[in-house]
Amino acid sequence: MANPSLFSILCIFSLFLALVNADSHFEGFEAEEDEIEDLTIDPASLRSPPLSNPTTLADPTPKPPPSHLPSPHPPTTFDFWDDDEFEGVPADHPPADPKPENATAAPTPPPAAATPPAPRSFTVEILCGAFLVMFAVNYFTGKRENENIALSWAAQFAAKDSIFEKNFSLLGIGDGGDDAPLLLKEGQTTFKFYASGRRFCQGLLATLELKSRHDLIARIYNMIVPCRDEISFEVFMNDDAMDHVVFALAKKKAAKAMHKDVRDLQRFANVLSPPTGRKWVVDDLAVISESKEVAADFVTDAVIDQVFGEKAFEKFGKGLISLHFSDQHPGVHKKVLLFKFVLPAAKNMADMSRLVALVPYYIDLIGRYKLSSQARSKTEAARQKAAQEAQKELRNAQQEAMQRRKAERKKMMEEAEAKLSAEAIRKKEAKERARQMKKAMPRMKMARGA
Amino acid sequence: MSSSHTNDPRQPSAARPYVAPQVAPQDLPVGYAGFIAVIFGVAGVMFRYKLSSWLALIFCAQSVANMRNIENDLKQVMMAMM
Repeated sequence: MANPSLFSILCIFSLFLALVNADSHFEGFEAEEDEIEDLTIDPASLRSPPLSNPTTLADPTPKPPPSHLPSPHPPTTFDFWDDDEFEGVPADHPPADPKPENATAAPTPPPAAATPPAPRSFTVEILCGAFLVMFAVNYFTGKRENENIALSWAAQFAAKDSIFEKNFSLLGIGDGGDDAPLLLKEGQTTFKFYASGRRFCQGLLATLELKSRHDLIARIYNMIVPCRDEISFEVFMNDDAMDHVVFALAKKKAAKAMHKDVRDLQRFANVLSPPTGRKWVVDDLAVISESKEVAADFVTDAVIDQVFGEKAFEKFGKGLISLHFSDQHPGVHKKVLLFKFVLPAAKNMADMSRLVALVPYYIDLIGRYKLSSQARSKTEAARQKAAQEAQKELRNAQQEAMQRRKAERKKMMEEAEAKLSAEAIRKKEAKERARQMKKAMPRMKMARGA
Repeated sequence: MSSSHTNDPRQPSAARPYVAPQVAPQDLPVGYAGFIAVIFGVAGVMFRYKLSSWLALIFCAQSVANMRNIENDLKQVMMAMM
């Protein structure tokens, strides 16, 4: 991990910056001091410089007093500060360089005068430095917190004799083996867990999206705009193991948004009203599905009893964000089951065990599921239509691209022609000139001959 | 719910190792922190305003803290340094 070392470098850099800033400040005050002295002391009494300090006479720049910061200031910053400080000085006043020795020779010691305003000028440095230190501390504690959450999730659901261990033969991102890492860390907030080797599906990828606890600024922002730790499971189904299914389940508001935004839901499915005369999911939830048949087959009694029914939802289903099963998923994998849940705190990981149990349950349910022939013909038609439209769109896009290319080529040709014609005009002109020259030539000859 | 899988659902023969999806560097989401840091840095140099330089430093620290893919981002940082 390169981050700690980077941070130490940053800290050192910030200290260095603070030093530099402090330096320039002292210089600024000193210059100001000089000017004030020049203004207040009667110039007549200072005309003859006292010879008590010969070294300052030889040196035109003000000599820093012994208690001053040791490093000599660079001339550029001095110039800059001078420019600023001269603003209040009247223009007809003689410039400072003839008699800075007076100021340094004056009895008032600069450090006593320079120290009182110093705290005011350091507030920015102190605040920012403190913030940086806090940022660094928070980085390490927040990182630890996030790692703890991810590890406790893995310990709860992917360790020995846990639900994923019983369902998948390959856990983690390695090639199997006992000490292969279970979690893949991407950045400080994203952890991934991969599992494979199960009937009906090619693999499962769980992505834990945690809060940016390591980032102090994001943390402050999240105080205003709260967000949650989330986990999403993507199950890539085998191509032959999933019938035509488009189904989603979410909170009512979220379901409406999903229906609007997610393309396959928008195209194939509708928000269903709860059926009468049947146990159904709790009122907060809405089902989006291609047909009533699919919805009825997927919202089984077991699911209602265990998670989504009136009684169970408060206790076990609270963490649901959405379920989304589709055989028309955009992307590489077409047949995908998506589960999104809220992640509980690290010590209450077991709260979501029923939600996690939905994953293998639905893999088996959908893997075995076959539509009735009636519904099948309907979905088949819808898919064919969609495929045709997609093809049409593709063709249109191709045609558009071709037309654009053609137009470009035409433009290029025209440009080349214009160039050519310009050249032709030039050639014509040259010919014309040559002809005129020829016309003139004989006359010349004649003139010479004559 | 566990009644639905009576026999062992595991199929070791069907296991496939994880293949990380390749993401091109230009497709990565842009970190806003680095962008803000650059703006504050430029402002700090232009107006010689100390606070803005400090803010630049803080946002720089944030962007470093938020690096997702260490190799990719370090490459960018090195390029930026040059």
